[in-house]
Amino acid sequence: MDQQLRPLLAKELLQVRRSKGATLSATLLPILLMVVIPLGQAVATRGAPAGVNVPAGVTLPPGLAAVTTNPSRFFVEVLLPLYLALGGLIVPAISATYTVVAEREKRSLELILALPVRLRDILVAKLLAMLILALVVVLPLFAVDAATLLALGLVSWPYLALLFAVLAASLVCSTGIALVLALLARDFRTANNLNGAMIGPLIIVMLGILFGVPGAARIAALAAFLLFAGSAAFIVGLRWLTFERYLA
Amino acid sequence: MTAQAAPSSRALAFTAVTKRYPKGTLAVDNVTWSIATGARACLLGPNGAGKTTCIRLLEGALEPTSGTVELLGSRVADEGYLDARRRTGIVPQGPGMYTDITVSEYLALAARLYARGNVDRVVEVFDLGDHRQKVLSRLSGGYQRRVVLAAALLSEPEVLLLDEPTVGLDPIAAHDVHEFLREAMHDRTTLLCTHNLAEAEALCDDVVILRDGKVLVHSSLADLRQRSKPRLMLAARQGAERLLQAMQDLVPDARAMPEDGTVAVTVDDPEVEAPGLLRRLLAQGLDVYRCQPVRPTLEDLFIQLVNEET
Repeated sequence: MDQQLRPLLAKELLQVRRSKGATLSATLLPILLMVVIPLGQAVATRGAPAGVNVPAGVTLPPGLAAVTTNPSRFFVEVLLPLYLALGGLIVPAISATYTVVAEREKRSLELILALPVRLRDILVAKLLAMLILALVVVLPLFAVDAATLLALGLVSWPYLALLFAVLAASLVCSTGIALVLALLARDFRTANNLNGAMIGPLIIVMLGILFGVPGAARIAALAAFLLFAGSAAFIVGLRWLTFERYLA
Repeated sequence: MTAQAAPSSRALAFTAVTKRYPKGTLAVDNVTWSIATGARACLLGPNGAGKTTCIRLLEGALEPTSGTVELLGSRVADEGYLDARRRTGIVPQGPGMYTDITVSEYLALAARLYARGNVDRVVEVFDLGDHRQKVLSRLSGGYQRRVVLAAALLSEPEVLLLDEPTVGLDPIAAHDVHEFLREAMHDRTTLLCTHNLAEAEALCDDVVILRDGKVLVHSSLADLRQRSKPRLMLAARQGAERLLQAMQDLVPDARAMPEDGTVAVTVDDPEVEAPGLLRRLLAQGLDVYRCQPVRPTLEDLFIQLVNEET
């Protein structure tokens, strides 16, 4: 790792560890989204009556029509990927507010700029710290999910791999969004508003994919969409982010 | 008036540099100036003159719109620039302080980024021993500035860039910082960006004055002083108005100084002209109790130069 990057990453991780607000928010929400709610539903769907009452004349989208007759499939193929994607999106989004925007708001960035560093290193260190925090939080939660779902016989190993791809893609997407956030948000409030403005439409598109694409293809489509959105955010961020924009 | 250093001996240099911000503000307008190795220069100018932009261009935080900025022979965009930055200590203007990083941790980070430096030594020099475990934001303004100075000097840099190092400090803390700076600037190329002209005068030998993004003056302080004549400051028991009235017949450019009730007059040689002037004033019945020759301060020169250009 770059000689400049390592100490900057160590500083970011130290600050993340000391930020109780960031750590608590970045841990509690994913626990709810990735473990408590889905596993509660997983248990509840076992033995639940098959099928849902659809009013006459209503045509369901193809992805939804295929699973409404089986609550377990509905949970595994629609709800679970959605929860995992949300969990992956939320952790870096929360930590970005603390690591990227706080430094800008408090003007402490000037202290780092006075030292021999490049903007690239400062940002890469922040993004890496966000990713490390996200991995530390979501990987154990995903392992709990995987073990429980396998034990309940709800998923296969290949399907778990697809779900993991969704989780990884959502982390990439959220990190890209954090980069754009660094470009645009100058304070906590703006950062939170922008997070909502960027993640909100993503959720709508994700629901569109989950309801519209039938079979396992929906999971692959979801992961591909998240990767695409993340890449677009990275391209925008790297193209437009300069010191003067970050310092402005 | 310029005093360009030879390219081989330039510690920092601006060549035809223009900096226009994204919203169109022209901060630096085609300027060329340099500071020779070992020189101690101050960068002066009214608000919005482009001083901080110049410092930010040197620290690589901004890119010039056109022209080249060099630090220790490396252009800001070059690969070798980071090495030049490791040989440069920077004291930023009133930075925000971390609420979750201690003095020790910040200095250790600085030492790792500079790839050299003895934290214990600077802690001792800046008397930070009792504050090592305190978070930066809990220190007083004076100690915060000491930490920033300690970080800047940690690697024994060849060049020091100081952006308003005493702004916002109380007089005692500012005096402490001046003492540290006097020591730190000894035998070290320094660019001091300040509004405090007394500070600049006390610490620097060369002056760069910017106005509206252009270099107004680049000269040694001694040369600048040569341009300006000394003054006599006179005071009489009858008051400044009466004294001024009497002097206007003798010295046409005499002017009252309302801040201390004296009358100032520009002379070529105080030793030659003061006795004659005094004799004539006393002969007119004025009780002159003060007649003091004064060399123009940097503040006088600065105001004179800026006003000349307006």
